[in-house]
Amino acid sequence: MKKRKKIKVSDIVLFLVTLIIAVIFAFPIFFNLMSAFKTNGEILRDAIAFPAAVYLDSFKYLLTETDYPKAIFNSAVLTVVSIALMVFIIPMAAYGIERTANKWTNGVYVYFLFGMMIPFQVYMIPLFRQMKAMGLFGTLAGPIMIYIAGSVGFGVLLYTSFLKGVPREIEESAEIDGCSRIGIFWKIVFPLLGPVTASMVVLQGLGIWNDFLLPMLVLPSGEPKTMIVELFYYVGEFSSRWDMIFAGTTMSLIPVLIAFLTLQKYFVKGVSSGAIKG
Amino acid sequence: MNATIVKKKKKKWWLTYTFWFILPSFLLYTIFVIWPTLSSINLSFTSWDGINPEVRYIGFENFKEIWESTRVHNALKNTIILAVALVILENIVALGLAILVDKVRWCRNLFRSIFYFPVLMSGIIMGFIWMIILNYNFGVFNQLLEKIGLGSWKLDWLGDPDFALWAIILSTVWKAAGYYMIIYLAGLQGIPQELLEAASIDGAGRWKQFIHITFPLLAGATTVCVMLSMIGSLKLFDQIAVMTNGGPGFSTETLTYIIYRVAFGEGRQGFGTALSLVLFAIILIVSLIQIKLLRKREVQM
Repeated sequence: MKKRKKIKVSDIVLFLVTLIIAVIFAFPIFFNLMSAFKTNGEILRDAIAFPAAVYLDSFKYLLTETDYPKAIFNSAVLTVVSIALMVFIIPMAAYGIERTANKWTNGVYVYFLFGMMIPFQVYMIPLFRQMKAMGLFGTLAGPIMIYIAGSVGFGVLLYTSFLKGVPREIEESAEIDGCSRIGIFWKIVFPLLGPVTASMVVLQGLGIWNDFLLPMLVLPSGEPKTMIVELFYYVGEFSSRWDMIFAGTTMSLIPVLIAFLTLQKYFVKGVSSGAIKG
Repeated sequence: MNATIVKKKKKKWWLTYTFWFILPSFLLYTIFVIWPTLSSINLSFTSWDGINPEVRYIGFENFKEIWESTRVHNALKNTIILAVALVILENIVALGLAILVDKVRWCRNLFRSIFYFPVLMSGIIMGFIWMIILNYNFGVFNQLLEKIGLGSWKLDWLGDPDFALWAIILSTVWKAAGYYMIIYLAGLQGIPQELLEAASIDGAGRWKQFIHITFPLLAGATTVCVMLSMIGSLKLFDQIAVMTNGGPGFSTETLTYIIYRVAFGEGRQGFGTALSLVLFAIILIVSLIQIKLLRKREVQM
């Protein structure tokens, strides 16, 4: 069976076609990374050429002369805190729903899933008003709570479908041994949910890191918001300083790139598990 | 609220833990998703401007204006163009990429990663990169046209109402296709090789195998991808914000974009909310129709 097949002409043609398409796909990212190390003049003169020398001034300028460091901080806080609370709160709800199957928990389950159908744009205007009324406008706590609330539907779906395949025997014997429910959940069940938690962290973390609309609306104007929002403003303000904006986009892309290279398997798994919901 | 009733009815201890486990999610979700969604119905009958503490009710005026406004009609037209074009193009490109990655002999994982990476980028960053690539004076695209002697085709792609929407569509295909590719790839790898071998023994060529075996067996993946890409295209926002800001004029406004512009740019939050309910209705109807239609053609294995 494992005999090595001969290389056919069609294999080479197929490889070349794929390679050409891959070059086209990779070009915009390559263009971005390259432009971040060029002077503005170089970008304008010949967009495709390699940088003459590695030019780091635009990074230095962004980090010392603008509010970008504060925006980096905000992006990191929003992403990390939201994700940490999400994987604390949501699996517990899913566990409660899955392990106590009755018409009430089933009703709650359907109620949660309904949220996946509601796009953010539908409730953003009343939400904006509500944030002001609740005194959460302009705080980082506001968007964090909105992110968690918005991922309850998807998260509960992922966790409950995974929990169906986790046998109850261990939990039952722990119960007989007098272990509390909280203890059973965190010591026995939660560690078994690792793959789902990884997918949640990766997918939701990426979504929050890249989000634009929510932080722009509910963080105070006149202060740095998140990286993505600041970049959006820079496009308007520094429309002639492309080198600087490219340096900014590169700084936002690097953590994503590192996460992707180290956690690639979970990105792919997350996509296929997210697709089940159809 | 459901859970509190449970608590009163039965006093078994495990019900109490269920209640406390669900409570935090239930509260957050109700306060920050369901409550604002419900209050949007109320807000859509007002002429609220976003600042004035006094909210005035104007009945169905907002919906009447939506029905009559040419600007909304244009946004609706753009939304439909965008949705149809994106669903078709994204799925064709994604299926093509999946077949290539599935069949190619070398560097399979590298190619898969390259096609997938744009999915991970924010729409703002991706929109900015494409805006620079398509820039009239210094953009890569026009420079390339000049180099291959087609300088006369040079255009201000994002400044021209005829091309701006297509620039948004094509760059979005570039960004999103990798996502659907992963789903198609999983589908392709689930097709039993014996079926294709049997067909080729019976004399079916590659194309016939694809049409009669591969494609029907991918129906499950297609259902998911068409639905997700349709809903994704209805929600498209970031790219438009950075690439055209709805312009030139109102020419690239979509429903999602017009909601944002009207509510936060023009201070008409009541009208914006009414529009958002229209968008919600469209998304609900589209998803229900799609689930019905596409479920029919799935092949039972």
